[in-house]
Amino acid sequence: MSGGGSNLAKTPLFSEHIRLGGKMVPFAGFEMPVQYPMGALKEYQAVRDGRAGLFDISHMGQVRVTGPDALGFLQYVTTNDVSKLVDGQVHYSALLNEQGTFIDDITTYRVSETEYYLCINAANRHKDVAHLQAHATSFDVTVTDESDDTVLLALQGGEAQALLQPLTTTDLESIGYYRFAQLELGDADAIVSRTGYTGEDGFEIYIPNGTAKTIWNELEAAGAVPIGLAARDMLRTEMGYALYGHEISDRVTPVEAKLMWITKLDKGDFLGRAAVENRKVEGARLCMVALKLTDRGIPREHYKVVADGKEVGEVTSGMHSPLAGCGVAIAYVRPEYAATGSLAIDIRGKAVPVERTTTPFVRSHVKR
Amino acid sequence: MSIPTDLKYSKDHEWVRIDGDSATFGLTDHAQEALGDIVFVELPETGRVVGAGDAFAVVESVKAVSDAYAPIAGEVIESNAELEAAPEKVNEDPYGDGWIARVKVSDGDTSHLMDADAYAKFLEE
Repeated sequence: MSGGGSNLAKTPLFSEHIRLGGKMVPFAGFEMPVQYPMGALKEYQAVRDGRAGLFDISHMGQVRVTGPDALGFLQYVTTNDVSKLVDGQVHYSALLNEQGTFIDDITTYRVSETEYYLCINAANRHKDVAHLQAHATSFDVTVTDESDDTVLLALQGGEAQALLQPLTTTDLESIGYYRFAQLELGDADAIVSRTGYTGEDGFEIYIPNGTAKTIWNELEAAGAVPIGLAARDMLRTEMGYALYGHEISDRVTPVEAKLMWITKLDKGDFLGRAAVENRKVEGARLCMVALKLTDRGIPREHYKVVADGKEVGEVTSGMHSPLAGCGVAIAYVRPEYAATGSLAIDIRGKAVPVERTTTPFVRSHVKR
Repeated sequence: MSIPTDLKYSKDHEWVRIDGDSATFGLTDHAQEALGDIVFVELPETGRVVGAGDAFAVVESVKAVSDAYAPIAGEVIESNAELEAAPEKVNEDPYGDGWIARVKVSDGDTSHLMDADAYAKFLEE
C-alpha cells in the first residue's frame, strides 16, 4: 500500500508521516499521506466537530515578490485588486494567461508595498514561477521561489487557536480572517495567516524546513489530529472551494468558474483581462452548479450530468457528505441547464436525480 | 488481520460461507482495511444470477470505487439491507454484520478458492 518511487519528492515531515502510520501516495510529485490509521472519516470528523486537524501541505509553493514595482507587477499578473490590500492582509486571486483561462489560483500576502508573498499550487509551481519570471523582466521586481525552503502547515478546526497560542507570544486573537502576522513560533520565524481550505476557523503556518518537525510534534502532542489528503479533499469539497485541475484549469475562465469576485475588471489592465471581458459578454460556455443527490449514491469526478436523456455536463468534484447526509457534487453543465430542467448524475449507467443547491454544502465556521 | 478458518477465500479478497445449498459473500478483513472507510455499498437485486468471478456488488470508500466479485456461482436470494444505512459495518465486522449478499448456490465447486491457511500465505506474497 505504501507506494511511490524514488523520483517523488518528500517534505521535511516525511519521517513524521511514516512514524504516525500515514499511508503514503504520490501527489503532485510528492509522497504525501492520504490518511493515517484513524481513517479519513474520523480525521474529517476531528476538524468538523470542534477539535483541530494538522495538515502538512508543504508540497504547495511559495514565491516572494520584492522591488519598487512589486504592486504594479502583481496588478498585471494577478486578477484581484492588489492595491486594496494593506500590510498584513491576504486575498484569494488567480494567474490567467492571455486567453483568460487559469494558470493557477493563488493567495497573495502583502508584507509591504514593495514585498508580497504568494502561495501557489504544488502541481503548478514550475509553470507559475516561469510565467512570473518571464513577465518580471518588464518590471523592477525580483521573483524568488522559496518553496524548497518552506514548510506549510495548516491547523484547522475550532481548537486551532488554543493549540497554537502556547507556541507564540503574539496574541493570535489579533489576527483577523484573511490577515497574517510575521511572528516567532518557538525558535522559528513564521508567517501565520487566519486562512484555510476547510470552512473551519484556523491558520496556515509558513516556517523554515529545519523547524518543522519540532512545531509539528508540539502541535500533535497538544492534541492536533494529523489529517491526510482524503479528509482534506472532503473538507474542501463540502465547502464548494475550487481546486485546480478540477473546477479550474486552463480550459475555463473566471466567468465559468464563478470567480469574477476575485477578477477585478475595473482595476486597470491585467493579463487575460480582455479575454475575460469578451467571455463575460458572450456568456459562459459552461456553468458551474452545486448539486445534491436526492437518492442514494456517490457522485465522483468525471461522472456525467444528464438531462432529457442526454449528457449536459460533468462532475468536477463529488463526495458523500457526512454532514449533509447525501451525495454532493460540483459540476459544469451547459448554460441552458444552469438554472432550469431536471438533472441527474449517471452513476454506473443509472440516472440518479439531483437538485441544484448552493455552496457551501454545509455550514462554514470561518471567523469573519 | 483476521482470517476465519470456516470460510473459503478468493484471490480478489472476498469470502464465502457455504451452508447447504445457500452461501454468503463478503469482503475479507484485508480488503476492508485496504479500501479504508466504506461509505456506500451498491447491493445486488434479489434474483440476479452471478457466475464465479462476476461483479456482484460495488463498494465505495472515501476515495475509491471497487467491484466485489462473486467467489462462486449462484442466484442472489438476499442482500444485506443494513449496509444501506450503515456501510461502515463492512469495516467494523467484515465476516459478520458486514456480509453483503446471500445466494442460492448453482455450482458448489470451490476448487478455485483458498482455505484460511492458503489465503494467509497468499496475503504474505
